[in-house]
Amino acid sequence: MSSNHIDEHEESHNPPRLKEMSRRQFLTYTLGGATAYMAAGVVLPMLRFAVDPILQNREDGSFVKVVEESKITSEPQEFHFELQQQDGWYNSTATLTAWIRKNDEGKIVALSPICKHLGCLVGWNNNQNFANEYYCPCHGARYTADGKNLAVAPKPLDEYMTKIDNGWIYLGEIVPNTVVE
Amino acid sequence: MLKNVYNWIDERLDITPIWRDVADHEVPEHVNPAHHFSAFVYCFGGLTFFITVIQILSGMFLTMYYVPDIINAYNSVEYLQTQVAFGQIVRGMHHWGASLVIVMMFLHTMRVFFTGSYKAPREMNWVVGMLIFFVMLGLGLTGYLLPWDNKAYFATKVTLEIANSVPWAGPVIKELLQGGTIVGAETLTRFFAIHVFFLPAVLLALLVAHFIMIRRQGISGPL
Amino acid sequence: MAHGHKSDEKVVYVGDSRVKKGNGWVVPPDYTAYPGKSEAFIPNFLLKEWMVGVVVLVGFLVLTISEPAPLGYPADPGATVIPMPDWYFLFLYEYLKLPYASGDYVVLGTIGVTGIAFGALLLVPFLDTGKERRFYKRPITSSLMILSLLAIVYLTNSAWTHYVHELEASGQKPEHIQREEEAHERHAAGLPTSNAKQPQEQEVAIVDPDNPAMEIYKKATCINCHAADLKGQGAPSLRGVGDTHSKEEILAIIHNGQGNMPPMTQAAEAAGVTEEQLDQLAEWLASQKSNTE
Repeated sequence: MSSNHIDEHEESHNPPRLKEMSRRQFLTYTLGGATAYMAAGVVLPMLRFAVDPILQNREDGSFVKVVEESKITSEPQEFHFELQQQDGWYNSTATLTAWIRKNDEGKIVALSPICKHLGCLVGWNNNQNFANEYYCPCHGARYTADGKNLAVAPKPLDEYMTKIDNGWIYLGEIVPNTVVE
Repeated sequence: MLKNVYNWIDERLDITPIWRDVADHEVPEHVNPAHHFSAFVYCFGGLTFFITVIQILSGMFLTMYYVPDIINAYNSVEYLQTQVAFGQIVRGMHHWGASLVIVMMFLHTMRVFFTGSYKAPREMNWVVGMLIFFVMLGLGLTGYLLPWDNKAYFATKVTLEIANSVPWAGPVIKELLQGGTIVGAETLTRFFAIHVFFLPAVLLALLVAHFIMIRRQGISGPL
Repeated sequence: MAHGHKSDEKVVYVGDSRVKKGNGWVVPPDYTAYPGKSEAFIPNFLLKEWMVGVVVLVGFLVLTISEPAPLGYPADPGATVIPMPDWYFLFLYEYLKLPYASGDYVVLGTIGVTGIAFGALLLVPFLDTGKERRFYKRPITSSLMILSLLAIVYLTNSAWTHYVHELEASGQKPEHIQREEEAHERHAAGLPTSNAKQPQEQEVAIVDPDNPAMEIYKKATCINCHAADLKGQGAPSLRGVGDTHSKEEILAIIHNGQGNMPPMTQAAEAAGVTEEQLDQLAEWLASQKSNTE
C-alpha cells in the first residue's frame, strides 16, 4: 500500500507518462486469451451436453384414464393405474396408486399415497385407532380424507391433477395439495 | 487474497520450483516455427497431447449417458447423439479425435524418427513413446466396439479371430478378451473396462514418464 | 520449520527426494551452446505452440459440427455386413490376408513379420546406435522406414479399394449412411427416427394358433427358417406380418421368393402341400395382425 502512495505522489508532480504494457505482459495476456479460448471451445459443448437434463422442456404430463366417475363415493377408494414413462432411452411403465374420493363440494380429490413425512405409503382406514383417516405405518403420520396433515407429517398429501371427460376420471401429474388450506 | 493463499501454501510445501521449472525453462530457437517455418514439425507432440486432453474430457462426459450393456449400449449412444443437446458434437469430438490423435502421433513419431531424436541419451523416451502409441491403438480398438452397432460388432469379431490365430496362446487370448465363448454382453463390459479404466491409467503413467524425461533431457539439438 | 509470519524467509528442504544430489542424471544440454537464441517456455514459446493449437481446434470443431460421428444399426449377429476395422488398422487387416500371412503361414503373419516389425520399431534406438542423426546419412534405417511407410500406404489403399468394390458388388451401402438417410426420410415423414430396441415392447401374439394353417406352415417347410413360434430364425419374424402384407402379397412371396428367400412352391409341393393349402396358409398369415383387440 505504501508504495502505491509514493507512486501517486510522484505522478502528481511529474508530467503524465504513457503507461505501456511490457512485451512479456502482452505475451502473457495473449497466452491467457488463447488458453481461455481453447478451454472454452473444448469444454463449453461438453458442459452444455452434461447439463442438458435440467434444460429439457418438460412436457405437460399426459393424463391417464383411471376410473368411471360414477364409482367414486365420499369414501376414499384405492385405484392403480399405469403410466408410460420415457426415461432417456428407456421406456418403462410405472404403476401408480391413487386414493380417489368426492369431497363435500362434489369435487374429485385424487391423493397420492406417498407420505409427506419420509415417503412411505399411507392407507385409508388401515389402523383401528384412527378411523376414517389416512395412516402411515412407518412413523404414524395421519391425514384427513382431504389429505390434511394431522400428525408427524409437515405437509398435506400431494394430489393428482384430475380431468373428467365423458364420465371417466383421468389423472395427470402429481402436484401439491390444493384442497386443504 | 489469492496471493496470500498461495504464499501460505508455498511457505509450507515449497511449490514454486515445481511450476517454475516448467514455466521458465528455455526453449531453443530451432524448434520455434517463428524462426524457421520448417520447425512446425515440432508442434505435433504438443498437438497430440492437446487432442488427448480433448479425448479424456469428451470421454468422461460421454459416460454420463453411455451404458456398457448389449441392450442399452446402442440405445444410449443413439439417444445421446440425437436427443441430447450438443451430443452430436461431443460424440463427434471423441470419434474424430480418436482418428486425429493417431494422425498427430504418427506425424510426431515420424518427426522424431527422421530427425534421429531417439538417439542417446533419449532411447528410453522413444520406447515409452512407442508404448504410448500401442496404448492409443488399443484404445482405438476397444473404443470401436462400444457403440455396439453392426460395424463395431463384426470388426471386433474379426479382430478377435486374428488374436485367435496366434499360435498356442491364441484361443486363450481370444477367450480372455471376449470374456466367454461368443462376442456378447461380457465382451462389451470387458472392452468398456479396458477402454475407460485400464488403458487410460497406463496412458497417463506413460505420458508422465514421457514428459519428465523430456524435461530432464531437453529437446534434441538442431541437426 | 519457520513459525510466525516471516514469509520472506524461504524454507530450504534438505535430505529429501526433491533435492538433487550431484549429477546422477543426464545433464540437459545448455542451449546457449547452439547457434541462435533460446526463449522462455512461458509465455514466448507456448504462445506460438498454442497459435497452432487454436488453428487445429477451429478446424476440429468445424469437422465435428459438420460431420456427425457415424452410427449404424444395432448389432445383430445375423446381419450381413462387410466387416471393416478403423482406418488405421486397415493395413494390418489387409496384410493378414496376403498369402504368406494367412493359411499355413498364419504364424509367420501374426507373430513373425508383425512381431519383428513392431519389435524393431520399439527398439529402434538400440538397433540404430550410430551418432549420426540426419536421416540421409543413415540410409539403412531411413530406407527401412520409408519402405514400411510405402507398404502401409499401399496396403491401406488396397484394403479400401477392395471394400468399396465389395460394397458395389453386393449393392450395400455403408450402414451409417443408410441409417442417416433413413432417419432423414422418417423425420421428413414425421415418424420417430430411433432404431433403439425396446426390451419391454409388447410382443405380438400369434393370431389363431389352432388354425389348420399352422399344420400347413409346419409341413411346407416354412418352419425351418421362420421358426415354430413364427419369430423367425435367420428369416424375418412373421408375427404381425398381416400389418404390412395382404394375402395376395404373401402368396406372391411364397411363389416367387423375396430377398434371401427362394421361391417355395416346389419345396412345398415336394412336401405334399397343395395349392389350396398354400392359399389357406396365406390367408391365415394375412390375418396375423398386431392389434386384433
